[in-house]
Amino acid sequence: MGGKILIIDDDSDILETTGSILAHEGFEIHTADSVERGLELTDKVSPDIVLLDIMFPESRTRGFDAAREIRSRHPHLPIIVLTAINREYAFDFTKEDIKAVEFLNKPVRTKKLVELIRRHLGG
Amino acid sequence: MTRLARLDVSEYTNLANVARWFILLRWIAAAGVLLVLGTAAIAFRPALPLPALFSLAGILVILNLLFHLYFAVVKRGVLSKAELGVFFNVQICTDYLLLFFLVYLTGFLENPFTYFFVFHILLTAYIFSADLVFLYVGALVLVFAGTAAAEFLRLVPHFPLFPGSGPAYFGELLPRTIGVCATLAICGYLGTSIRKKLEEKAQRVEIELDRYKSLDRIKSNFLLQVTHELRGPLAAVNGYHEMITRGITGAVSPKTLEAVERAMRRTDNLLTMIDEMIDYAYMQTDRVPFEPVRTALRELIEANVELLAPQAQAKRIRVEMKCAPELRVCASRDLGNIIISNLLSNAVKYSPQGSTVVISAVQEAAEVCLEVKDQGIGMTPEEMQHIFEEFYRTRRAREIERDGTGLGLSIIKKSVEAIGGRITVASQVDKGTTFHIYFPEGERDGR
Repeated sequence: MGGKILIIDDDSDILETTGSILAHEGFEIHTADSVERGLELTDKVSPDIVLLDIMFPESRTRGFDAAREIRSRHPHLPIIVLTAINREYAFDFTKEDIKAVEFLNKPVRTKKLVELIRRHLGG
Repeated sequence: MTRLARLDVSEYTNLANVARWFILLRWIAAAGVLLVLGTAAIAFRPALPLPALFSLAGILVILNLLFHLYFAVVKRGVLSKAELGVFFNVQICTDYLLLFFLVYLTGFLENPFTYFFVFHILLTAYIFSADLVFLYVGALVLVFAGTAAAEFLRLVPHFPLFPGSGPAYFGELLPRTIGVCATLAICGYLGTSIRKKLEEKAQRVEIELDRYKSLDRIKSNFLLQVTHELRGPLAAVNGYHEMITRGITGAVSPKTLEAVERAMRRTDNLLTMIDEMIDYAYMQTDRVPFEPVRTALRELIEANVELLAPQAQAKRIRVEMKCAPELRVCASRDLGNIIISNLLSNAVKYSPQGSTVVISAVQEAAEVCLEVKDQGIGMTPEEMQHIFEEFYRTRRAREIERDGTGLGLSIIKKSVEAIGGRITVASQVDKGTTFHIYFPEGERDGR
């Protein structure tokens, strides 16, 4: 089954690779290379799930604000955080702080990512 | 005068302990005085003013009882620094006075116990500023010289220590006075100057230590940030590799596919190394939480066995798990994960194809013992002595797995120590290795 996925990440290579692999798995993919563009697309394309990075050029925790913003506008939209920060302890935040449903470390294993996306899409 | 009364001690001196120590010493001194006086009264019956001497000993006992009650009962051992300053001064003044009269009534400069003032001066120098020590020593020297002069001029009586020692005593009075006064003055000077030197040294060590600690923190934080940054590019590289192996970029030849798969294995290794460096840097920072939280051990083990499943499956290694679901350990999830993931990953990495790795946990008295047992390459006793050292890898480990930081076991050991646990290891070459981690058990109430 498909589903609309929005990927927000400032790394164009991550957008390209994660986007292509998930498209190959049958999802409809939208990508945003900045938090602003991501918020815009969240309203415009109404994705079923958002994959969000945490570190952006403007700040190391810009994704935090993005998650809160998305949550305030779309309270039931699942957010999966994908970040290079491989342990929550390293930057003193938890899944609850980010209001994310899942927290995955880059590089993510496709099998696991697809499994999680399907679970949150109710498939 | 308030400046003089001020205590002059480093922040590491526990003044309450010093006060307790002073009172204890005085009890010992009082017992000693009573013992000596009693023995003298019974055995030698000297021509000493025994009633006056026993009265002084009685005053010493009563005063120390008052000090003891004031300190332990009235103040319950808690005094402000100003109160302690006054308390110490009162004690020192009474000690000086009592010892002086005890000595004066027992032969004065004839009595070798005169030199016990050396101990009093050293104790004064231990807690008070040099000004006050010199004031006390100056007063003592004046009192000693004045009393000696008064005795010589027969203004005050002399109480001989031994009957008939009078004439000889007055002949030696001048050198004895000079000897005692010089000793007291030198003792005051040496006591304060040695203390000052030691304190200067301690301060220098403290400054150096602070500098070193802050440098070390900067280094660890730097390592933590840098290693994190490395994961981003690696994720992109892995992504492109995956696009190729999945055929998203078009058909590839079997040879290209094999090359890309090899590249993926190496990037996986690199990722493990980066994670080890992050864990290592984390253990060096001051972020490691020490709060004793209870964590369900079985969940931790299951999550890590699942994470490691691809590597285990690739080598057809069976990972057996035995852990009662109710077992709780006293460790944060982060530290628990670091310990278990590193132990399991080592076991799988250094075990032959088709072997079995067993991870089990049992309650042992107040501890929970976690065992990770493999049938891998094992270690020699000589190698086992070094395995917890940073960057150490055995020769065979390097042969089997080229990529590695040699930080894994050092990280495990640091994590185990951080939660107040223990780690032991038993190993035989070609038979396998068994690690035991003893976790302190979490408290039964709460999580």
